[in-house]
Amino acid sequence: MRKVREIKKPDIKIDMTPMVDVIMLLLTFFMLTATFRAAESEAVEVALPQSIYSDPDNKMRESDVMTLSLTKDGDIFVDVDNYKIREKIFGDQFAIGLYHPDSTSQSTVMQTGKAGDKEIKRKVVVMNKAQFDKVLVDLKNSLRSVTGNKQASFQVVVKGDKDVSYGVFEDLMASLHESDNKIFSLVTMIKSESKKE
Amino acid sequence: MAGGGFDAPEVAQGKGNKHKKSKAAGVRIDMTPMVDVIMLLLTFFMLTTTLSAPQLMKVSLPKGDVKDKVKVDMGNVLYVRVSEKGNIYFAQGRSDGSESEMKKVEVKNIATELEKIYAVNNNLLLLLKFDRKMKYNVMSDVFDEISRAKIERRYAFLKMEDVDLQKIVAAGG
Repeated sequence: MRKVREIKKPDIKIDMTPMVDVIMLLLTFFMLTATFRAAESEAVEVALPQSIYSDPDNKMRESDVMTLSLTKDGDIFVDVDNYKIREKIFGDQFAIGLYHPDSTSQSTVMQTGKAGDKEIKRKVVVMNKAQFDKVLVDLKNSLRSVTGNKQASFQVVVKGDKDVSYGVFEDLMASLHESDNKIFSLVTMIKSESKKE
Repeated sequence: MAGGGFDAPEVAQGKGNKHKKSKAAGVRIDMTPMVDVIMLLLTFFMLTTTLSAPQLMKVSLPKGDVKDKVKVDMGNVLYVRVSEKGNIYFAQGRSDGSESEMKKVEVKNIATELEKIYAVNNNLLLLLKFDRKMKYNVMSDVFDEISRAKIERRYAFLKMEDVDLQKIVAAGG
């Protein structure tokens, strides 16, 4: 009788509790630290430069952000995160503005439809210098009319590719200055200090 | 088989009978589906998270129109010139409008060099002149170092003139 019973019940049990505990912990960690990248903000991909300095009270806002991306081919893409404003300024909810400051060369986007190695899936509105300057002012004004807040202004962030020439950035600064966007931020990736010393 | 009493004799010695009964209840919850779901969530969050959030460096351009002239004491000025190759040169201005010999500075020493100059003159104004053909990366490195230096940040971006280019060429490009 006894023998039969033993064979019948091999009874191997693995206690899952510690594993579940650990997984729960990891899950909580990732849930809390997660910052989702909005699909549309990745319209233009640039290789950001690295920096050590980080401004403790200068963080990327959740909304009302104007992104100026400088690709390594010297194109400036202007985008805002409010589709209503995009429709008003560019005539399409998903459009993105393009300004190629160097008049001696052609924007590669117009020839290949690609910025860097990535295809631009959104409608591209090409502008010249005068139009670009006007759009920068219009964007600010339309934010004020859309939100109904006369004080509202975009947080202007510049995502420059680390290989773009400084001249493009200089041209952009001139346009920003003229359109009264005198405070803006450069977006960088964090660099660990130990590597440098 | 009824060995409950061996392990915990001091807990409930007088009520041995009751103790036995509660042990036999054996309510078991199957954790497997929960673990499955949690694993799924974990994978989702791990894949969608971007851990290194980008950081921002604030840049302020001067107020007023481009044509507006601002008077500064040239003795407080430090020229920071960066050549096309990414070489960085410092030159201190003098009150009579001339400037000192250009001195080549490595990127990693900018912050300490600035602090040294700032210790002597705390009205320091940085005039940044970058070559248009230079890489954006160098500009962000220089700006990073300026932001890191423990000095009052006063700077202006100026256009690289032919005079500056000649000076850079004379100093070694």
